[in-house]
Amino acid sequence: MRVHQFHPTLAPGDAMSNHVFALRKKIRHWGYDSFAYAIDAKPGVADVRSYRRLFREVKPDDLLIVHFSMGSEVVDQLAKIPARRVLVYHNITPPEFFSGINPHAAAFARLGLRQLSRIAPAFELAIGVSEFNRRALVEAGYEETARVPILLDWEHFAVPPNDAVLARWNGLRTVLLFVGRISPNKRQDDLVRMLAYYRRCIDPEAQLVLVGAYRDQPQFHARVVALVERLGLGGAVHFAGSVDDASLLAYYRGATAFVSLSEHEGFGVPLLEAMRFRLPVVAYDAAAIGETVGNGGVLLRERDLAETAETAAMVGERTELREALVAAGEKRVEAFDPEKVAERTRQVLGL
Amino acid sequence: MGEPKPVDLDALMAEVRERIRTKREKGIYGPDVDALMRVPLPGGRRIFSDDLQDPLASLAEVLDEEVEYDPRSRKPVVGPLITYARKVVISLVRWWMGAILERQERINRLLAAVYDYEGQMAPRFGSRLERLEREWKEWREHEVAANMHSVYFQARFGGDEPVIRRQSEQFVDLYKGRKRVLDLGSGRGIFLQLLKDRGIGGYGVDLDPKMIAQCREKGLEAHEVDARTHLREVEPGSVDGLYARHIAEHVLPGDLLEILVSARRALAPGAPIVFITPNPKTLTVGAHTFWMDPQHLRPIPPDLFRFYLEVVGFTDVEVRSFEPTETRLNEDVPAGAIRENVKLLNETLFGDRDYAVIGYAP
Repeated sequence: MRVHQFHPTLAPGDAMSNHVFALRKKIRHWGYDSFAYAIDAKPGVADVRSYRRLFREVKPDDLLIVHFSMGSEVVDQLAKIPARRVLVYHNITPPEFFSGINPHAAAFARLGLRQLSRIAPAFELAIGVSEFNRRALVEAGYEETARVPILLDWEHFAVPPNDAVLARWNGLRTVLLFVGRISPNKRQDDLVRMLAYYRRCIDPEAQLVLVGAYRDQPQFHARVVALVERLGLGGAVHFAGSVDDASLLAYYRGATAFVSLSEHEGFGVPLLEAMRFRLPVVAYDAAAIGETVGNGGVLLRERDLAETAETAAMVGERTELREALVAAGEKRVEAFDPEKVAERTRQVLGL
Repeated sequence: MGEPKPVDLDALMAEVRERIRTKREKGIYGPDVDALMRVPLPGGRRIFSDDLQDPLASLAEVLDEEVEYDPRSRKPVVGPLITYARKVVISLVRWWMGAILERQERINRLLAAVYDYEGQMAPRFGSRLERLEREWKEWREHEVAANMHSVYFQARFGGDEPVIRRQSEQFVDLYKGRKRVLDLGSGRGIFLQLLKDRGIGGYGVDLDPKMIAQCREKGLEAHEVDARTHLREVEPGSVDGLYARHIAEHVLPGDLLEILVSARRALAPGAPIVFITPNPKTLTVGAHTFWMDPQHLRPIPPDLFRFYLEVVGFTDVEVRSFEPTETRLNEDVPAGAIRENVKLLNETLFGDRDYAVIGYAP
């Protein structure tokens, strides 16, 4: 038996792709042949096969894991391949977030949600990476569901942090960090508004660093940039784009707080990364964020920008509170220990 | 490594809110900052998350929105061809689009009908809310017998003018040389008159228009306004003394603290503040005479009142009690345990009837 994993695109530095590769490593370690397939493998990822080979190579007793985070015609075809089929759901951003900003993305999201329901009967098991996702699967008509968190691979962070990034950000009084694609559901616009409060009422020198690719949502990115200008925050908001592991590590080390006002996350890997690298987390409680953060950070139940800013300030400046949160964060990350998650994955997949 | 100490999030959030409140008060966090945080995303249509801020208004707008699509392509050379192709496709799918639009139109109308039909969703919601409001108001009135005729009541139980004057006199000297002393609940203007006689500037506020009229007849400055409202609105630091006789026992603890906080803001540094209230430490007061006025909400022990002033930030706070009860046990007994006991009883049962808590603005 062999284990095949598919996702339409696989890219370096993307949480979902990392999950695919981490899982492949584990499965190989358990003694099975395992391969990753994509329609579009971005430069920088190695050892990814073309999805076309799936139709030739999958045998009836093989396991085919389809990772689902967007609609794709290929998935309809994959659902017909005779094999044990398992779906891993990473969530689809609801289309309304893109309305008025990116009709293309909205249309794709709509198609994706429809497809998710349509292909339900073809899968013997559907795994949600969070309870939030698992419930969405049940709603979409999946009968056998399970919750297994994302398999994190900390090894690729075993690099020294990027010196240039550290030198640039370390030692400033306030560096607020958010990591995630620039996208309307992640509400970087509200982070910018929050920074306006922060600089007026707390620290006039405060900086906001937004790490994450902005190519997917050029319209939203342009409008957030315009908002930065409108609020007179030019020079205080830094769009870092997508960065390599060494730089990301340096951002986690150099920042004073990780702040999330995202309204939709299927899991939220950066939240755990922040905790792992001893950065206190302040996050608005939405979608799967609450269950990922747990008691490892400050969860905000009210969506209030002033409160968010003041909380981030207290967390960043009060040593005792900061240390308590860092300790709580490290404890929380243990709950997502890759060994435990791998064991659970193995059990659920029956390997 | 042990379990990390859990972070008390409720306490943290309480402190966060307190910080914001302070910043609002000091004017650091003003409407300008609020306006900054409400700036919509520039450069195009409002996004969905912004719509959600005011869903009803946005819904009305969206229901009326015309959907537009411009089939023209701006590409060089092949542009006209693409434009032509798009127009052909549009004309081919026109009927299908029409069917979808028709369904959407029905949905829109139904939604609008649901929105208008508020009565269906919560039967008699409006009338139930009205009844609740009426009952709540009645309850508040009954609690303090607000309808009892104040003039008759004053005539029967109200303080004697000479007594009030004698009591107030002992505090006038605290305000020597002051220019603008505020008398909260100035009543008939007895204290204002005392101030005026000594050349101290002062004015009063009271809720009772008849009292205000009486003051004005005597040439005293008085305004018909609620104490809390007045203190909130007065220019910070513009008052240099505050006197409030028999006010504190008429308000709830939260209101009293609010009054103290805004008084601190209103008072110039070093300005004296005096509150006079019945002394529940004397049992005949706490158990009996305090309740002779149904408008009294709850007695305030002197130590608690002192604490309130200190917490709000007033300095050199002291408590001074006065007006001993006339009926007393005879202390003319042989010296020793019995006399000590009688004294103690006198103090506990027949001690001072009123007390003043005195402090100074920081």
